[in-house]
Amino acid sequence: MVKAFERQNPGIRLQIIEGPNATNLIEDLYTSAFLLGDSPYDIVNMDVIWTPKFAGAGWLMDLTDQVSEQELQAFSRQDVEGGKYQGRLYRLPVRSDAGMLYYRKDLLAEAGLEPPRTFAEMESISQKLQEQGKARWGYLWQGRQYEGAAAMFVEVLQGFGGFWVNPETLEVGLDRPEAVQAIEFLRGTVSKGISPPGVTTYMEEDTRRIFQAGEAVFLRSWPYVWPLANGEKSPVKGKVGIMPLVGTAGHPGGSCLGGWGLGISKSTRHPQEALKAIRFLTSEAAQKEFILEAGYVPSRKSLFTAPEITAKYSHYPQLLEVVNKAVLRPPIAQYAQASDILQRYLSAALTNQQSPQQAMQAAANETRRLLEAGRPAQTAT
Amino acid sequence: MQAASGNTIRAREQRTGFYLVLPAVLLLLLVFAYPILRSLWLSLFSQNLATELKPVFTGLSNYTRLLGDGRFWQTFWVTARFTTISVVLELALGMAIALVLNRAFRGRNLLRTIAIIPWALPTSLIALGWTWIFNDQYGIVNDILLRLGLIQTGVNWLGEPFTANVAVIFADIWKTTPFISILLLAGLQSISPDLYEAYSLEGATPWQSFYRITLPLLMPQIIIAALFRFAQAFGIFDLIQVMTGGGPGGATEVVSLYIYASAMRYLDFGYGSALIVVTFLLLVLAIILCVSLLKARSRKLESLES
Repeated sequence: MVKAFERQNPGIRLQIIEGPNATNLIEDLYTSAFLLGDSPYDIVNMDVIWTPKFAGAGWLMDLTDQVSEQELQAFSRQDVEGGKYQGRLYRLPVRSDAGMLYYRKDLLAEAGLEPPRTFAEMESISQKLQEQGKARWGYLWQGRQYEGAAAMFVEVLQGFGGFWVNPETLEVGLDRPEAVQAIEFLRGTVSKGISPPGVTTYMEEDTRRIFQAGEAVFLRSWPYVWPLANGEKSPVKGKVGIMPLVGTAGHPGGSCLGGWGLGISKSTRHPQEALKAIRFLTSEAAQKEFILEAGYVPSRKSLFTAPEITAKYSHYPQLLEVVNKAVLRPPIAQYAQASDILQRYLSAALTNQQSPQQAMQAAANETRRLLEAGRPAQTAT
Repeated sequence: MQAASGNTIRAREQRTGFYLVLPAVLLLLLVFAYPILRSLWLSLFSQNLATELKPVFTGLSNYTRLLGDGRFWQTFWVTARFTTISVVLELALGMAIALVLNRAFRGRNLLRTIAIIPWALPTSLIALGWTWIFNDQYGIVNDILLRLGLIQTGVNWLGEPFTANVAVIFADIWKTTPFISILLLAGLQSISPDLYEAYSLEGATPWQSFYRITLPLLMPQIIIAALFRFAQAFGIFDLIQVMTGGGPGGATEVVSLYIYASAMRYLDFGYGSALIVVTFLLLVLAIILCVSLLKARSRKLESLES
């Protein structure tokens, strides 16, 4: 890939620096590099939730005038939105990621059931199959106090028609009835025996292991589960279906948007070359190669249905549906802090340390204080 | 004449001594005093995303914010509780293991080596292992307890504030007790067996000889081990980050996790520095208190002896 770029662009050398294997460590790496000034990197590969912070800190080059609206049309709309901060573009999406619902299509078909459309239907299907002894657990989700729980909660919140923070008005929606309903739903899955009590301590891998062992009907997770669940030795190989997350009547569910994209460091001495490189790396040809090699989810709409790709990954057209329903976590500069506030109170509510009302009221108040204190950064451009 | 030359020799020696110490002093100043003073300085500024990372002098406002910051005080008490419980239990257990390892028996050297292994392994890997061990579904702790009939349904170890704290303290004790027992073992081996022999001839019970000989003579090592562990446990990060991430609901969040989040994730450097300064001062205060208590106690012991 690098060689192809260098062949097409003589005079530009592209050096890829390999980072640590954990997302938060890469974030630390960039943060330290930017703080020391004069970042050694020209191009930054960013998770969707860092973009506002890095842009707010003034570390990224504004790409708005460099990339035309027409060019952006080819990308999934949500992925482009995830690269924006206060209406300006700072990142071109290179790979998409979104939360989705995995379900055991064999068990549902056996029982003559349709895939659920609402949380209530999902619960009743789970209970039915659990009673019949088809599966030990109904629904698996990630409830440990960490970023993944915030992502999971955004989806449930969307499914109840609620919201977290409105990035334009900075209104906080956590103390509205929808947020309380969302928590009551999640608590209910545990108290009704649909989810194991340990979901409040689980991360992605804990839930995948149980699902892949064939012990659960539904799993909320990311696209990475698909190839593993359908691996040679997987007990649920070929028995898994995927669909967008469910919601309630009148409120279709949402999928939390993840994904990575490329931005340019403000202190770069090679802005033009860097721009060429990110155009190349996000291009159709380059993404196709990434996808076929590593199984990434594309950020360009056309690739979800490209024949070469669907030949290898038959589920990609369905993935497009998921990505199209994706919701962003609030693109505000203080996202990390806002997320921590939510995570703490969400975890306290999920583990019955506080009532949903109490927890969400406190979380909403703290979030409002945070946004109030940070207003200068929000209005500065 | 004689006296004068003695003076110059001493003066010369002192000067040599000074030069020899100088590099170490400079190094200490550089790696200890500089960061602490710099944190103190930074803590008087607001430097965060709201100021676009430019330092703005705000005096003591970070400190007034800290006084009302429930999250800080919660993390502080969690850390204090974690540290006290784990260090006390580690000392007791470490002492017991050291006493056993001090006996002559076959395979003692092998056992000593094995005993140190937990301490030598990287903490984050250990923590991952403990996370699995305490998993509510496939964890081995629940499996053992269920088989023994001690519990009827699996305990959600990392999901309840109390059991999560028990789990992280347990993991920490497992990990660092060997460190204490090795330190104490070294101390035990420096105590002459003659003392015990003489004392037992006078009809002392093993318990008496432990209390009157071993404990007082081992006091320096105990204090060193306790101080070491105290400082280390207070700064615990990796074990808790991996096992619970501070959850559930912040019930296991320790000070270092909060400081890390403030500085590296929220980019709130002024406030992060204030957190560091206050934690540092409280820690120094705790150590001074502990040491003076121990000193008073050992003085009492000495006066009893004489």
